[in-house]
Amino acid sequence: MAAIYSLYIINKSGGLIFYKDYGSSGRMDTNDSLRVASLWHSMHAISQQLSPTTGCQGIELLEADTFDLHCFQSLTGTKFFVVSEPGTQHMDNLLKVIYELYTDYVLKNPFYEMEMPIRCDLFDINLTQAIQKDRVALLGR
Amino acid sequence: MAPAGPRFGDAIFANVERVNAELFTLTYGAIVRQLLTDLEEVEEVNKQLDQMGYNIGIRLIDEFLAKSNVSRCVDFKETAEMIAKVGFKMFLGVSASVTNWDADGTCCGIVLEDNPLVDFVELPDTCQGLYYCNILSGVIRGALEMVSMKTEITWVRDMLRGDDAFELQVKLLKQVPEEYPYKDDE
Amino acid sequence: MIGVSKMKPYTNVLDRPLSKGKLEVSLSAFAFLFSELVQYNQTQVDNIAELERRLEDAGYAVGARVLELLCHRDKGNRRETRLLGILSFVHSTVWKVLFGKVADSLEKGTEHDDEYMISEKELLVNRFISIPKDMGTFNCGAFVAGIVRGVLDSAGFPAIVTAHFVPMDGQQRPRTTILIKFAEEVLQREARLG
Repeated sequence: MAAIYSLYIINKSGGLIFYKDYGSSGRMDTNDSLRVASLWHSMHAISQQLSPTTGCQGIELLEADTFDLHCFQSLTGTKFFVVSEPGTQHMDNLLKVIYELYTDYVLKNPFYEMEMPIRCDLFDINLTQAIQKDRVALLGR
Repeated sequence: MAPAGPRFGDAIFANVERVNAELFTLTYGAIVRQLLTDLEEVEEVNKQLDQMGYNIGIRLIDEFLAKSNVSRCVDFKETAEMIAKVGFKMFLGVSASVTNWDADGTCCGIVLEDNPLVDFVELPDTCQGLYYCNILSGVIRGALEMVSMKTEITWVRDMLRGDDAFELQVKLLKQVPEEYPYKDDE
Repeated sequence: MIGVSKMKPYTNVLDRPLSKGKLEVSLSAFAFLFSELVQYNQTQVDNIAELERRLEDAGYAVGARVLELLCHRDKGNRRETRLLGILSFVHSTVWKVLFGKVADSLEKGTEHDDEYMISEKELLVNRFISIPKDMGTFNCGAFVAGIVRGVLDSAGFPAIVTAHFVPMDGQQRPRTTILIKFAEEVLQREARLG
């Protein structure tokens, strides 16, 4: 079964505001996850500059030997990315679902401060469900 | 993406979860009442409503982008159409139209045909200077700022003040390119 | 005729027909507005009890108007005068109009004769709201408690109304119970009416 390893959300200035581990292997401590986030933020920006195509919006998929990294950046500059087993399908759909959950359970929460780390129970609950659903869908392929 | 026809906003509105407009209208009324009690001066209430709208706008823009699936607009004209035809419809269930473009395409009017905020409302003598719907101008300003457009928004017509429609003038002040690298001192 | 606006001319609010209450806005529009109401009120208070009171006040203003509106539109200018009548009016009619559904349950308190509870598995105003740990038992349903108090008080049934989270077996999320404690005079009057 294709597996999702982890999910990151980074704000428009490159700060990590949400991180969750799903795999049992390759867990990272807080410092490492912060490093990955800021590294990705910079690489994403550089890729926009280096791209030969005009209007490039940055890296959407990075394929490595041991993982895939799918990234979605909203027009407002927030980046969502998942790290998954190589070849995992439908990750762009999953990212879109996560973006919608973020608009519902983070942005409509009066106790959430913009650009700050996300601590919202309802976001966690719904995210877990979405990722499980996604796994079920993958199983059914 | 170009606004996909006049029915596009309708289709989105039909697909989102909806609530009775009266709950919305009366809750907004309760907010305005609280502000009038807290701040006393009508001018201060106008400012606070605009600020609250701004706070909503900077959050609501992501919902708009996520649920409408529209991509970046090519110019300010398209942006204005998008707000009027898709934005107002998607959130408030009403249509708006864009008029009165200036020559260089940076200033226009958005005219509301219906406005759910003002059902049951009449301005008393003590509140004649109140821009009752000022939250709307803040929402648009906040939302556009998050997609790199600085705007100035003013009421041109207000039915609560005896005009024949609600009209907001939206003026594009500057388009901030969101390009890297950011300056070091930022 | 060319150039004639299709805009409705301005008419005084009292000269317009009362709307039938069928218009809708998106849940998101309401949720963002409600969120901002809570955020604004947070800037005006020093503690959670005050925040609850201010949300309740805002709700009260809504409740008082809802009673008037519904009695006029749906009940032919009549209103309930008996305790169970007004409670069922809140639980059914008011809930249906404001929240699109009848409340999940209406029960009488088991310990006190003057207490009633309206419960909802997921209160509409709480749909997207997670309460931070440091806010303890705070519930944004205080706004809805205020609506209920506004309806009851304006109908001549003064009461203390509060909102509480109640954990449910086998559920990840607690439900919200709106606790209504009627003033003594209400129960005395009810007893006289027999």
